[in-house]
Amino acid sequence: MENLTIEETKYTPSINLNVENGLIELVGKSYPENTFEFYQPMIEWVENYFDGNDQPKTIINFEIIYFNSSSSKLFFDFFDLIEESQNKGKSIKINWIYDEDNESAMEAGEDFIEDFEKLDLSLVKK
Amino acid sequence: MDITKLEDFLDDSGVVFLSYGGMLTQELISNMTEALEKETEKNNIGISASTNLFTIFVELSQNMMNYSKCKNVCEEEFDPKGLVLVGYNKDDNSYYVLSRNIINAVDKDKILPKLEEIQSMGRDEVKKKYRELRRSGLDKHNKGAGIGFLEISKRCDNIDFTFKKINENKYQFMFQANIFNKQK
Repeated sequence: MENLTIEETKYTPSINLNVENGLIELVGKSYPENTFEFYQPMIEWVENYFDGNDQPKTIINFEIIYFNSSSSKLFFDFFDLIEESQNKGKSIKINWIYDEDNESAMEAGEDFIEDFEKLDLSLVKK
Repeated sequence: MDITKLEDFLDDSGVVFLSYGGMLTQELISNMTEALEKETEKNNIGISASTNLFTIFVELSQNMMNYSKCKNVCEEEFDPKGLVLVGYNKDDNSYYVLSRNIINAVDKDKILPKLEEIQSMGRDEVKKKYRELRRSGLDKHNKGAGIGFLEISKRCDNIDFTFKKINENKYQFMFQANIFNKQK
């Protein structure tokens, strides 16, 4: 399976999906015009990755500075997918990375932690 | 056209920038968001308040962009003339994001009860409702999750809106979100 890299733009994050390192990384802002279309390749990659991979552990780094509400929904559905994979026995750790002064980003992370109690999701101050 | 008069008016009203008339595009929205980032940096607005401001601005502009695109396709006589502006109020050190566009009566009847409900809710209720709808996807549509106004409400101190009737089928929809800069 191939790695997938998507370059950062003014309104979409850089996406780095790496099989060898078991790394899923999103960094930047997220307010695409068509959110569901934009993230479709990432979602497909992640589905295939968890279907076939035998990595001992997957690390997901989420460093989104701000995002629109359709991205918020997309992230929710993404975490849902991750939870399903975890239920199938995959070992996954998620870091919600935020600037320490950015309360809104921290609150967004806290909400996801409450919504996905079974996931190993931690808040990480930058 | 006396441009000085317009400038004086914009300065007096604390207008940081505005877009009026033409169709909003994603490129235009992201350029305006960048300008807004520079503005908040220059004025030492705290990162939390700025993040909320950017999110609200993006949310309202994209709402208008999506609405006018859809209506252009569906309704021949649709008038895309919209207004979105960001302003700063010196008196109470607050920012506001205001949008105004023309919507049809059917959509007014959909939006109005939602906004009234949001306005009647406390902060915790807004957050709860936001998370419920995000989970259930009940209000999801092809352009988004249907939780935009809750997202805005979560991130500002208060909202204000009016629907002014133009004719049987058209209303002018004005929406404003106010964000206080709490950082001393």
